[in-house]
Amino acid sequence: MSFSRRVIKQCYAMQGSSRYTNVKQAVYNLLENPQAPIRPYFDIFMILLVLTTVWLLIYEVKNDLGVVGDLVEMVAVGIFIIEYLLRFWIFNDSHKVILERYERAEFINESFDLWPALWHALLGKLKYVIRPLAIIDLLAIIPSYRPLRFLRIFLLFRLFKLFRYTRSISEFVKVLSEKRIELVTLFIFMAFITFTAATAIFFFEADQQDSQITGFFDSVYWALVTMSTVGYGDITPNTTEGRVITLVLIIAGLGVISFFTSIIVSAFGEKIHEIRAHRIYSEIERKRIDTLICGYGRVGQVVAERMAVDRRSFVVVDPVEENVRVAKKKQGHLAVVGDGEDTELLLSLGIDKRIQRLLCLTGDDVVNVYITLTARQVNPDIEIISRANHRENVSKLYRAGASYCVTPYEVFGLIAAEYAGQPVAFEAVYGLLTGQSHEGIEAVRIKGESVLVGRSLESIDFTRRKLTPFGVIREKDSEAKVEHANYDLQGRRFFFNPGKSFILEKDDLLVLLGHEYSVVHFRDCLERGTL
Amino acid sequence: MSRLDTLIFGCGALGQEVAMQLAERGIEVYLYSNDLDEVGALLAKGMQAAVVDFKNDDKLREIGIGRWVKRIFCLFSDEPSNLFLTLSARALDADLKIIGVCESAASGQRLMAAGATKVIDPYEISGHRVHERIARPYLVEMLESSLFGKHIDIAEIEIPDHSRLNGAMLNDLDLGSRFNLIIIGVVDLELGRELIFANSGISHRLDEGDILVVIGPEEEISRLKQAVAENSLEPTTDTGDP
Repeated sequence: MSFSRRVIKQCYAMQGSSRYTNVKQAVYNLLENPQAPIRPYFDIFMILLVLTTVWLLIYEVKNDLGVVGDLVEMVAVGIFIIEYLLRFWIFNDSHKVILERYERAEFINESFDLWPALWHALLGKLKYVIRPLAIIDLLAIIPSYRPLRFLRIFLLFRLFKLFRYTRSISEFVKVLSEKRIELVTLFIFMAFITFTAATAIFFFEADQQDSQITGFFDSVYWALVTMSTVGYGDITPNTTEGRVITLVLIIAGLGVISFFTSIIVSAFGEKIHEIRAHRIYSEIERKRIDTLICGYGRVGQVVAERMAVDRRSFVVVDPVEENVRVAKKKQGHLAVVGDGEDTELLLSLGIDKRIQRLLCLTGDDVVNVYITLTARQVNPDIEIISRANHRENVSKLYRAGASYCVTPYEVFGLIAAEYAGQPVAFEAVYGLLTGQSHEGIEAVRIKGESVLVGRSLESIDFTRRKLTPFGVIREKDSEAKVEHANYDLQGRRFFFNPGKSFILEKDDLLVLLGHEYSVVHFRDCLERGTL
Repeated sequence: MSRLDTLIFGCGALGQEVAMQLAERGIEVYLYSNDLDEVGALLAKGMQAAVVDFKNDDKLREIGIGRWVKRIFCLFSDEPSNLFLTLSARALDADLKIIGVCESAASGQRLMAAGATKVIDPYEISGHRVHERIARPYLVEMLESSLFGKHIDIAEIEIPDHSRLNGAMLNDLDLGSRFNLIIIGVVDLELGRELIFANSGISHRLDEGDILVVIGPEEEISRLKQAVAENSLEPTTDTGDP
């Protein structure tokens, strides 16, 4: 019983140890976690190691390896063994399995029996051992053991280890395995034809005088070579019956080959989006993209274009293949074909953690509301900017969790109405709103160490700089006393036309009206403190 | 039927929105469409709407184009209809103001070629605003509550004949201290429709017919308008003594 107690105690110690958990997590990151930054380096290292040992294997056939070669082989095998054991270790938590059974026994007041629990834990580990990739790993190690040298051909399994480290090969296997039923059907059909043809040729040709077919293996070999349309010609039928069978087999062979090709082609055709999407996911990972644009219509295009100019990174999702093609090929944006409503897709793009800003810009308000709602549920901190095509949907979008709504039609109405009433003022507004004119409104932040802190606006020669001070935005909790008229701006104060006596404070946003070059120059002077 | 000088063609969401915004500014409009259902929906909402076959020039003339109508909005949801209407209307009236909607830069150019006075691209503006919101969030909030909000308005003020401002330099007006207003610029119709920005460094000599574009609180704007109308406003420099 004391042994049982000791095991339980040890298990609890492991459960409680943060060091143990951290080490295990680190190993998991290294070996398994596809999101971990270190993973690609490890993969490349392992691929090089595998290729080196395979090269040694080839070299060894005709040459002597020497001490260095042996040493490399030993180190490589050592790394393979460590890798295998680590994978075995992180596959599951045995102590948790034991503890679970222990706690259950405690709960229903039964006496705890250690051996079944240990057996259970062992079974869990066994599940790892019988996985195909684990078997490949094992086969890549075992032949290095001298008494098992005859298994050397299995060293080729090291090449199969590459599956683990390269995404494209594993994707290939995954695609093929989805066509399992078709491939099995094809295989049965092929086996049937081969067997029939082999039997027939054996029947007609084996007892002939100068026949090349000496046994049934020869006829199976001939049947496969003929059917695959390879046709070496080392075995050829001599009798008329044999030739008739050849004719039939060739036709059947054509069918088999084309069937096989079509399976592969259609499998990739169906999966190509997913494969491309996977590529994009890893790119998003690598480039640390934090903005997602749903909908690449007119609005989406404009936003994407402007953001590209700003060198901000983003990814576009659009259900229309054509739009995605344009986004990718013509504009060079990252883009995925997919529905914004597809929560799975949004999650794999990292909407719950990495993405910090979501733009729902589709032309359909229902879709925008849906995306907004889903995104807000999985990520309470994300900034969501949504497009509302109808006025009445703005409140719905805000309720669904949008941080900001843009309404193309309302903006149009506003501008059009402005044009009807005041065509001249309209031009100014239009220029400001579309950003098409070089004259515009810009904000400059007054930093703490800036020379402008504590200075009045009068002391800055705005006229010479061809700028007009439009206003100042200040945090509401700023200690500076408020003596100028101001407007409330969601937690901030906006001072319009602040006047000459206005004193600038740290963290103020000075809003300037002027040509973009003037503003750039002003900013530059501010940075260098030469104002 | 009253003779309204503003007509809207196309009764979709866009047409309704414009009609509403115009109504808020006190401009009465008539909506036209060739779609019976759309017109019915609008009539049910209490708006003034009617069915018209815009492909027929006689019908267009009947509803006032080329006669008393001063401006029309082409807001059909399809570009060909907008183009066709623009062309027909331009042929009927060379001075008509035609404001159109476009979905891309290319369709905007086509509309302008067809004779539209102004083409507005709502998607471009929306895209720009989304981008602004990302790039400069504070500024958007400010513009939102000033340009679109209740607080601050943009207004244009025409300088009347025999005004004391006649001949004054733009830079000497110094409205900022006397009114809580900022002068954005001035349009001199003799020089073209381009807005001359007040801070461009070129001081403009004001004369009658020039249009000042100012921005500021509503009450300040009406104070300025009144002052200009009463001719009580003087430039600061030529008054050497108080």
